[in-house]
Amino acid sequence: MPLTYAAFPFLSTILLACVAGLLIILFLPAEREREIKWVSAVCSGITLAISLFLFIAYDQDLGGYQFVERIDWVPSMGITYFNGVDGFGLPMLLLTGIVFFTGVLTMWEMTLRVKEFFALIFLLVTGVFGMFMALDLFFIFVWYDVSLFPMYLLIAVWGSTRKEYAAMKLTLYLLAGSALILPGIIYLVINAGLNTFDLLALSEPGLFTPGQQRFAFLLFYIGFGILAGVWPFHTWSPVGHVAAPTAVSMIHAGVLMKIGAFGVLRLGMTLCPLGWQYWAPLMAFLATVGIVYGAFVGLSQTDVKYVIGYSSVSHMGIVGLGLATVSVDGLNGAVFQMFAHGLMTALFFSSLGYIYDKTHTKTIADLGGMLKTMPVATGYFIVAALTGIGVPCLASFWAELMVFISAFKVYPIYGTLAICALAVTALFILRVVQKVCYGPEQERFAGLPDVSLGLGAPRIILVSVIVIFGLFPSLMFDMIQTATIPFLDRLP
Amino acid sequence: MTPPHPFDITIFAAMATAVLPFIAFGLIIIFFRGRDRIAAGISIGAISTALVCALFLLVKHWGLTEPILYTVRWADSGQWTIPIGVLLDPVSLLMLTVVCAISFLVQIYSLGYMAGDPGFSRYYAYMSLFAWAMITLTISPTMLQLYIFWELVGLASYLLIGFWYEKFSASEAGKKAFVMTRVGDVAFLLGLLLVLLHMGNLNILEMNGPAVAGQMPPATLTLAAILIFGGVVGKSAQFPLMTWLPDAMEGPTPVSALLHSATMVAAGVYLFARLFPFFELSPSAMTLFLAIGTITMLMASTMALVARDIKQVWAYSTISQLGFMVMALAAGGYFAGVFHLTTHAGFKALLFLCSGVFIHHFGTNDMFELGQSGGRSLKIPMICMTIAAAALSGLPPFSGFFSKEAIMGALAELDNPVWLWAAFLGAFLTSYYSFRLIFIMLFPRKSDEPDHGIHDDHEHHEGGYWPMAWPLIILAAVTLVLGFGQKGLDHFLMGTMTDAGHHGAEGGHHGWLPFVAVGLCGIGVVVAYLEFGLPGSAQIGFVERMDRVKQFFAERWYIDRFYRWFLDRIIYGGFSRLFTANDRKVIDGGVDGLGRSTVEAGRRLSDLHLGMIQYKLMVLFVTMIFLGLYFFF
Repeated sequence: MPLTYAAFPFLSTILLACVAGLLIILFLPAEREREIKWVSAVCSGITLAISLFLFIAYDQDLGGYQFVERIDWVPSMGITYFNGVDGFGLPMLLLTGIVFFTGVLTMWEMTLRVKEFFALIFLLVTGVFGMFMALDLFFIFVWYDVSLFPMYLLIAVWGSTRKEYAAMKLTLYLLAGSALILPGIIYLVINAGLNTFDLLALSEPGLFTPGQQRFAFLLFYIGFGILAGVWPFHTWSPVGHVAAPTAVSMIHAGVLMKIGAFGVLRLGMTLCPLGWQYWAPLMAFLATVGIVYGAFVGLSQTDVKYVIGYSSVSHMGIVGLGLATVSVDGLNGAVFQMFAHGLMTALFFSSLGYIYDKTHTKTIADLGGMLKTMPVATGYFIVAALTGIGVPCLASFWAELMVFISAFKVYPIYGTLAICALAVTALFILRVVQKVCYGPEQERFAGLPDVSLGLGAPRIILVSVIVIFGLFPSLMFDMIQTATIPFLDRLP
Repeated sequence: MTPPHPFDITIFAAMATAVLPFIAFGLIIIFFRGRDRIAAGISIGAISTALVCALFLLVKHWGLTEPILYTVRWADSGQWTIPIGVLLDPVSLLMLTVVCAISFLVQIYSLGYMAGDPGFSRYYAYMSLFAWAMITLTISPTMLQLYIFWELVGLASYLLIGFWYEKFSASEAGKKAFVMTRVGDVAFLLGLLLVLLHMGNLNILEMNGPAVAGQMPPATLTLAAILIFGGVVGKSAQFPLMTWLPDAMEGPTPVSALLHSATMVAAGVYLFARLFPFFELSPSAMTLFLAIGTITMLMASTMALVARDIKQVWAYSTISQLGFMVMALAAGGYFAGVFHLTTHAGFKALLFLCSGVFIHHFGTNDMFELGQSGGRSLKIPMICMTIAAAALSGLPPFSGFFSKEAIMGALAELDNPVWLWAAFLGAFLTSYYSFRLIFIMLFPRKSDEPDHGIHDDHEHHEGGYWPMAWPLIILAAVTLVLGFGQKGLDHFLMGTMTDAGHHGAEGGHHGWLPFVAVGLCGIGVVVAYLEFGLPGSAQIGFVERMDRVKQFFAERWYIDRFYRWFLDRIIYGGFSRLFTANDRKVIDGGVDGLGRSTVEAGRRLSDLHLGMIQYKLMVLFVTMIFLGLYFFF
């Protein structure tokens, strides 16, 4: 796979922007909330701008890893600071930039412990960015854990609805995941005997026996799968979604769950292609169960955030199903779905966050008539809901379509079940829309202000990105393809 | 066939029809929310330009023999390219004109009907969305593009049916329409994937071509045809997914007019016509479709016999006429089905728009109340509605007569006469329930409580009468003359159908057919007159005298009850509850149990370190035993 070194370390600049933001916030006095928010917005804006630039500047004809940076770090152990992005990494980078920036903007009105909140968010996102660009197993693991720890504090301090329980559950689950990933990494590095953590060196075909690949893949799949909400390891995710404050829910559902799927792709599937092919039927089975199960459980929830949480379980199942097909279409769809689902949940939580801030409730039975009370804010919520249903010309549709096409080809029964779940998905999401948005205006909410243009900015960005990629899916497919086609060509 | 240039006037016009309403939608929703006049102006401007383009295309390509195809790349994945483009052939040109014309008239009419509504600009935005989706669906060159816009048509009707979202019944009806059609669409998508799997692409011209039979085994082909037909069942409200359509009248009446004539439900029949050669490859599937169409047609007619709501009668009549169209197509009468779709679009839009004037004016949906409060004093709507009802019943010389004769002709070609008899029965019922309504409106009986809540609704008048009246007059004129264009349309539509086996509208071998059909319609009208029109008659129909039967029909054969039960018991009460309980008890319970037992084990272990001598001795003893076991064995 071709490597193109960067003339300018763009990727490190993204990380530096995050770290700089973190440091500046730490040195600002806590009462200067305005400045803290502006610093956050500017630094996150820089990361978004660079990710967007990289997305555009990536040479699609050349393919491979580009903007590569490489510095030996601990030569005796073979650890290198090695970053690079390809057609898988770039959509994730862009997604992180968008969700980060809009998440910061969404929290513009917050007042509780502002300094600590934004500092932790920056720490979290540094880990996420690092994870998506690292090409060294050691760093991948470090970034992965960096992104997990702030979650605990963010939920336990700023959360709601059983926040301590949720924070503890989430942290334990994810640590259990990393307790599987670390042995997996060590197992492979030792068995390769090359004294390197270099992902590319380790992904040479023939380095590991099929048995080793099967074993390591299972470790990675379960370890990262927990984070991706794979059934039956999903129950931390709805609880965590519900308890987290708005921006954290956005980053959590929008980006963190993608780390899980990305980890399976980057470590599991790249290093152990034979293990991947061996376990693919199991992946497809669990993914299909997740799709159907998530939709049905979503039907009987009483809290809007729980509904979104279970819709994530269902939609992340589609990612899993796509990865399990071992085909170009399936992989394209899966990566696109990671991107689209990230935007969709970010929009969902962002718009719901506004409604919750004003009404102080997210119980479905208490809400109603929101479209009358705050038409614009509710309009964003409805767009998110329609994206979740898979309405065409919104980004998710293409992703789901590609996954369904390939799944139907490879696993006819699972594919059929997943497609049938579309009707249930429509039912459970429209049920929430009906109960929350429609109906007569509630008197106790009358006079609540609608979202202003400035406060609506993060939602406007998210809606426009969803629509742009919905109308022009080739923008995304062409990018992802530069990675999927060589990836599958390399398969033995 | 040479590939046309993108700036070829034909392609340009076709793209303009498709794109303009979308631009209108975007402009209104982004910039002109709450600016009523500008919103309506943009929307009507877009649709009228689209109509001009569509008429231009129809005239320019009248007598077309080769389909015009133009596609560009939309996206591709792997070896598979997804194109987007334009396919113009007789059926799409005809449908394009119908869609644009009806949308245009409905939008003009809505100027009056929706005036003063707080959601006026939102209404026009949705109308543009609807027009965009339907127009692009019509000219789709591939089934995938058709499916995409098919879903968008569903979305637009969801938004418009639930337009008055503050009413629970409206939002419920919107949801019902979306989910029920989604069920059909799931089958549709599965069918498409099956075809894709065998053919490698979804181009309509290839699916209709002769190669399909070679690429797909007959059983698979039948399965795919039936699955794709699932989409038709959902969208065109065929049995058993028919019950969303009567509820859909919760939307504003012009929306019903659009929904019932040229867009939503017409999409289903259009799909059938679009893939007609493909469906025809599977005779057993066609027989199934024929049965579904017949069942739908008869069931819906019986429901219409006992309805009191004026819009509900027309809604049931739509379902039954859609049944007729499906029957015609399934019987091999390609022209008959498409022709009836065209004529029906005209007179059904007219029926709803007329009803809209009455409802707007008198503030009630009940036909008896409308009659009593002087419905017949509104001359233009009353005359127009009578014309449309006559067309619906199939009385000459109105357009419905010609298209229904064509259907009868197609059915008479079948070996089994039972379908023809069913159609005769349906024709009789149609004319009976149509004229039941007309006579109730025309010859009202005095009631105990006259002027029931009517005159306090005077603010409804603000909309202005003429924007609402002109579309009626135009549609009535079309209903009068369209039938005489049958020969020309037949020639035009059959232009690209090379297969000589298709039945036209000749009906030559069945000279008796028109007489029987018209006779039955006449009997229907006479019976309706005797029961409802004749001075002194009780205005109770023969069906309504039988309580059980009336109840059965009024409850829509208990189909809705069944769905309610199914949803509550199986979906919510069964799967959903079971899975949720599993999530709480089994998975979470297991995990929490694991957590608790870890904590508990820790506590037990820490007890060992309390420093009590007996624990230390015990640990020592156990360790010795294990060491001993290890060393000796």
